[in-house]
Amino acid sequence: MTAPNLWEVLDRACNTGPVMTMKDFDMKVFHTTTRLVKEHDIRYDPRTPVSSDDGLADEAWNAGLELFIEVGSYCINSGRLIRFDDTEIREGLRELRGEASVGEGGERRQLTLRGVEDKKPPTIVCGGVIESNFPEGENFVKLYQSIAQEPLIDGFYVGPPLQSSEGRVVRSGTPLETHSGRSMATWVREAVRRAGRPGLHFISACTPAIANVAAADPVDGLRRSDGIVATIMPELKTDYENLNKVTFSHDYGCVKHIYNGGMIGGWAGGPEGALVVAIANAVMAIMVYKIGIGSSYNALGYLRASAPNYSAFVTRPCVWGSSIGSQALSRNTKIINTCVAMTNAGPGTEMQLQEITSAQCAAIPCGREGVSQGARRFKVKPLLGSGLENQFWGELAYALAGIKRDLASMIAEEMLSRYEGKITRDSDGGPPGYTFDEIYDLKTLTPRKQFIDMQIKMKAELEDMGISFRY
Amino acid sequence: MTGEGEVLNRLRDAVLKYDSEAAVEAANEAIALKIDPVKAIEEGLAKGLREIGDKFEEGELYLPHLIMGADAMEAAIHVLEGHMSKDLLESTSSGAVVIGTVEGDIHDLGLRIVASMLRANGFKVYDLGFNTKTLAFIQKAKDVNADIIAVSSLMTTTMPFMKDLIEALEASGLRDKYSVMIGGGPVSERWAKEIGASAYGRDASEAVRVAKELMAKKRRGTK
Repeated sequence: MTAPNLWEVLDRACNTGPVMTMKDFDMKVFHTTTRLVKEHDIRYDPRTPVSSDDGLADEAWNAGLELFIEVGSYCINSGRLIRFDDTEIREGLRELRGEASVGEGGERRQLTLRGVEDKKPPTIVCGGVIESNFPEGENFVKLYQSIAQEPLIDGFYVGPPLQSSEGRVVRSGTPLETHSGRSMATWVREAVRRAGRPGLHFISACTPAIANVAAADPVDGLRRSDGIVATIMPELKTDYENLNKVTFSHDYGCVKHIYNGGMIGGWAGGPEGALVVAIANAVMAIMVYKIGIGSSYNALGYLRASAPNYSAFVTRPCVWGSSIGSQALSRNTKIINTCVAMTNAGPGTEMQLQEITSAQCAAIPCGREGVSQGARRFKVKPLLGSGLENQFWGELAYALAGIKRDLASMIAEEMLSRYEGKITRDSDGGPPGYTFDEIYDLKTLTPRKQFIDMQIKMKAELEDMGISFRY
Repeated sequence: MTGEGEVLNRLRDAVLKYDSEAAVEAANEAIALKIDPVKAIEEGLAKGLREIGDKFEEGELYLPHLIMGADAMEAAIHVLEGHMSKDLLESTSSGAVVIGTVEGDIHDLGLRIVASMLRANGFKVYDLGFNTKTLAFIQKAKDVNADIIAVSSLMTTTMPFMKDLIEALEASGLRDKYSVMIGGGPVSERWAKEIGASAYGRDASEAVRVAKELMAKKRRGTK
């Protein structure tokens, strides 16, 4: 017996799944999650940002699995439930091989499983920036060249698309975005060629499926060793755009990169519920997006959606949930799971480095296979993002491999204490940071001294706290 | 015999307990006791929903609580409104808001939070959901005689649809009829000014404050 294949899943999503209103589904997720949090005695502990409790991780896993078995997932276009029975889900979990490969030639990377507190280095360091609001053309190429020239970077995330294409404003879902998807892939190939790494992997994150499809080109565009990002919408939902991306990736044979998380304050409820939903979302990635088929990996992100402070990421409850979610998946599945840091501060700031550190403390020592999508600032300002924070992203991921969770928690606590008070409505989440041309000399594509010094200082402080940088 | 104060408390408590049946029962009792329906709404039901909103602001309650509280309140209002004139019913509203996420954008969580917080603060909210076409906002605003059109965008590539809305209102001679407030992750005060929106709300509580200011301006005739 095997798990339902993609065609059966699509049949349930489009044709045969039971119909339900979205509100009823959302409320069912909330009520079921609330009940499971109680039944499994999952309690948020703000004093321990990185949990060392194996039992809690296993309870969270069981709760997430039960949630998915009970409520399934929801297709917002058809209004249909996509549900699986217990046996099908067990078969789906057995499909996972615990490995994936990305990139080509000298840049081919094999992603394999890591355990909690594993000394093995991260098996992928994916960088990138997101919503960077870069102009089309040369500076876009230089941005990705600055990332690709970092030796620890094994790939990067690209998208959502540029604000302009051929000098015209790009709107989501319009033909100019389709063209933009193709243009971006071409420029990325040029960037990695200039960096001397033509086989480097990237993941395309255009919102409409067709813009990713347009980028597919085994030579000059999105190759089969590259990936397409499909998202699980909060909570446990999908739509035809994301299913189109999964279906195209399946047919074309490229990497599927599934992004998901649990949103605190939304349909999941509080931090405990968001943790349980995040795990259920990962099960959905296995069952609906078929992450076990082909070469694919998961990115378990974390969002904070509501008051009291500000809509923010990498907050204390986010770090806590991420640390347990990482361990729950590492201990109980063979899913390749990576980390994302959506920082509140922008590039070139100490706060962004602190946020990256907190996010990775909840990931690398907690059994994630690597890091992906890089660091990003949620609030958009033109030209935000550079290779330099990607360098730190990679160096830190290696440095954190092998450390104990208690130490990771101590470091995360120190970092959180430095920045969490700065995540306020008045600060718009934190400092916006510096633009690419402020951080880099664009003629030589080298970072400026003040920003390099900031990273050196940060690394020295982290070494004083007990971690060793190999790079 | 049940007194007015007790019924008002039961209306408030029913909302706080997300209990639509109890809210309907208390509303029927309010009618039987000839309690002013406006008072029943403002000093009973709305009080409960505001308490939920305050707890949401403090991070103690979450979006589903706002929605369940609003559902209980709606159920009771449905009973009360049968005993109110249209004008009286409108007098209990802080204003009518048509809300949605712009075309091409499927993010809806922030939208639901803002919609719920507006409801908790006495606004009559018409939620068009995500991926809403520009003309649908305008048509709904016309249909319900809205005061405010509130739109969100969570992606840089859907922000231009906000500009479309302003242009479409101007082209149809309706720009002065409706206030337009905008919000969402990449949206800023600067963008609001650039496209000629009436106001920008950074988050749900600011959206409520801004909506109240827009209504105050409208009532003063200084829009």
